[in-house]
Formats: sequence, structure tokens, C-alpha cells
Amino acid sequence: MEETMTARVMDPHKMERLWLLARIEFKLRYYENKLGLLWALLKPVMDIVIYYVVFQIIIKQNIPAFASYLFIGLILWNFFVESTTGTIQILSTKKYLYEYSNMNKMEIYVSTLMSNTIGFFFNFVMFLVFYNFIERQSTGPSFYNLWIVPIFVILFILSLGSSLILSNIYILAKDISQVWQVFVSFLFFLSPIFYRLSTFKESLPKFDYGNPIAGIIINARRVMMEHRPPDFRLLAWDTLYALVLLGLGLFLLNKLGSKAAEKL
Amino acid sequence: MEQHLAIKATDISKTFHISEDSHNTVKHRLFNLFNPPRARKVEALKPMSFEIAKGECIGLIGRNGCGKSTLVRLLAGVYPATTGRIEIQGTTLLMNLGVGMSHELTARENIYVSSSVLGLRVREIDCIFDKIVDFAELREFVDTKIKYFSSGMVARLGFSIAVNAGADILFLDEIFAVGDMKFQEKATKVFESSWIAGRTVLLVSHTMDTIRRYCHRTAYMANGNLVFFGETEEAVRLYIRDNGE
Repeated sequence: MEETMTARVMDPHKMERLWLLARIEFKLRYYENKLGLLWALLKPVMDIVIYYVVFQIIIKQNIPAFASYLFIGLILWNFFVESTTGTIQILSTKKYLYEYSNMNKMEIYVSTLMSNTIGFFFNFVMFLVFYNFIERQSTGPSFYNLWIVPIFVILFILSLGSSLILSNIYILAKDISQVWQVFVSFLFFLSPIFYRLSTFKESLPKFDYGNPIAGIIINARRVMMEHRPPDFRLLAWDTLYALVLLGLGLFLLNKLGSKAAEKL
Repeated sequence: MEQHLAIKATDISKTFHISEDSHNTVKHRLFNLFNPPRARKVEALKPMSFEIAKGECIGLIGRNGCGKSTLVRLLAGVYPATTGRIEIQGTTLLMNLGVGMSHELTARENIYVSSSVLGLRVREIDCIFDKIVDFAELREFVDTKIKYFSSGMVARLGFSIAVNAGADILFLDEIFAVGDMKFQEKATKVFESSWIAGRTVLLVSHTMDTIRRYCHRTAYMANGNLVFFGETEEAVRLYIRDNGE
């Protein structure tokens, strides 16, 4: 199953279609609004300002390079939320794609996540510019930065798996969106996005292993800001999470997703 | 599966479970864990087997609710079959009131998306793009979202995409029933031209003239059963007798 899936996705013809769908999806998301692409760039900046005021100025956490610390954490987090919360109803909104042909539903998911990846890419470039040219406490670029690629790939697989699971449960239970929203805010506050990492680890020992997003954010900061290799145990753990969720997601897609056309 | 076949169906059937209460929330499912929803079974298609060779044009007739559209959706891979196996060689296109199009996209984007889903390369779509637009007579609305189109315009666009992009196997569900007279004429003309040459077609229609004119073989269905599959004349005779009762 997995093998045929990768073979299918790697086919250049399929890649071309995925790219086409991803571009149109991206355009739909950002060019429809008056603010356009500017919004994609503005949103993380505004989030950062809010959290900066609260946690650095009011609560005085004194984390070095706090704006950058927030920045990298938030853009990874936003990718995860957009790819999960934003795709719960995907089988319903993208019904027109599979209702009239035997198109592989997996392509719908991959193209939507690719479109989110384009958004992430813009945000990441912004982060690089900010960190290397504006941040005063920056340590500058290093070769360890390249580790961000496999870390992002793990996040991508993790999001894809979660998205598959949620959207297929949606076929049976529509209020999964509300349940997930609560779960997402739970995950958000239990991820070290705006806390000092040591405080987080002291209060919730081992929780960085319980929450895959926490591990991804911790590792991204290590390779982007601390000139250190990722924590390999954490990285392996997150990979395991991602693959298990993807496996479960593919199972559900086969089991429930095939009935999407008649149920939704 | 033999090379000359386009579709091979073995013992396929379809049963819909229609639940009487709406058990589609988490809350509802949890509270009624030991009280599963009473589902009514509707046997839309009773077990049937058949083969369709490549290049054949098959008619599918029967009265309303006899399972024609369900069968077509099953074969097109839109619905999973409850039992049995369906083997398909080639890309499929199901067309009734149009091909799948998003109302949020412009005509141009829909042309690219639909044609790509039907298996065309972007380069190939570039080549037939003008043909699609001109055939649909929508030149001045190419960059308009189709939600602002009239239903006739949407139907024309869908038909034009189907005609020009095509697929190896076409399931045409009452395509002559939409559009104005001029459009119907155009659709018929296309049907007579080389469009369907070399393709496998399954044509659902209530117009016996159309069935008689184009179909090599015809299937007649009643109450979810495949009653007869063979000579077109015989199938039409059965259908007319059924309607007469």
C-alpha cells in the first residue's frame, strides 16, 4: 500500500497535477481577500507582537532573542493548525474532484498540504531575514540550519496523517471539528511556543515526548537558533508519531473515505 | 483481466444503509453506543456480472429508480461496491449535469483542474484550451468564477471539457437532457462525430432513438436487477413493455 502510494505520488505526471492543484488552492486562499498575500505575511507578525507583549514585557520571561524564538515556533504551529483544522471538511469541499472520476483522494490531501507548504515557505523566508538581519541577539546562520528540512518533512507527514484521520472521522461525525478545536488549544498551550524551554520541561517532564509538535518546535529552535544538531531521540520519536498517524490515516481513508461520495 | 476488455464486473452489488436517526455527531454516537441506529437497507443493485469490451458503446435503460445511476457511479469508482469486483482499464469520466467543477474557481482554472484530473498533461491542456473555450462559447467569461454563470453556461463548459479532454471510458448519464435546443443539437452532433471513436461509452438515456442509433449492445434494468444485456432491439422492447404496464 505504502509503496504504491509513493510510486504514484512520485510519478511526474501526478506531481504536475499536485502542483497545479496546490497553486490554485494557494491562490484561492490568499488572493481572494483584499489584503491578499500580505495577510499571509502579516498574520505571524501580529501574533508575535501579541505574545511578545504578554510574555516578555508583562510576564518578563527574559528569553534571549524572544521574537525569533516565537517566530519559528509559531510558523511551524500555524502550518500544523492550517493543515489539520483547515482540512477537516476537505472531503466535502473538494467533492467536485472525486465525484466524477476515479481520482485518488490522496492527491487532494497532498496538494492542499503543498499549498500550505508554499505559505510556510514565505513565512520561513521572513524568519530567516528577521533572524539574520534584524534580530540583535542573533547567532547568525550555520550548517545546522539545514536540519530544518527533515524536521519540516516530519511535520508535513504528521499533519497529513492527522488531516486524514480527522477528515475521515468527519464523514461519520460532523462535530469532530468542535472536538478538535478544544484539542488544538490544549496542544497549543502544552507546546513550548512561548514558554522558556526549561520551565516547560520542569513542569511537564517527558511531555516533549508526549506532544509531537513540542518535539518539532524544540528541534527547529536547536538547529535554527542554537547552532546545535537536533535532539535525535526526540526526532526519532516524532518520526514514529508521524508514521503511525499516517498509517492510521491511510487505513481510515481506505475504510471510510471510499464512502465519502455517498455520505457527504 | 483480458486485454480487450475495458470493464469487467464480477458479482457486484450495492446496498445502501440509510439510518433513520441522524447519528452523525460524536455526542450522539457516544450516548447511543449500545443502541445502534436502526438502519434501513436499500438494495439498490442486486448481484450482477458482465463484461464490456474496449470501444463498445453500451446503452443502459430502465425506469426511474431502477439503479442505473448507482451502477454507473459504481463503475466510475465514485461509490465502492458492497460485494464483488470491478476491474477497469483506463481513466474514467462520469458526466451527468456536468463534470466535477468548483464554483469558486474561474472557467480557466476549472478547465485546467478537470482536464488534469482526467489525465492530461498541462502542456496538452494548453493546446486544447482554446478549443474548449470556443466550443463552450464562453470566450469573454474565461476569467469569471463559474458561480456567476447561468446553469446553461456551466453545463456547456462541463460538456466542452468532457468532449475535448475525454477519458478512455465515458459514463454519460442523461447528457442529452440538459441545455437548450441548440446545445442539445450540438451535443448530438459531437456524439456522431469522431468523439466517441475508440472510446468505451456507457450511455444512460430515456430516449430510445438515441439508444437505437448509437448502442451496439444495451442493458435493461428493473428494480436493481440486470434483466437483460445484449441486442439493443430486444432491450428496448423489454423497456417499452415495462413502461406499458
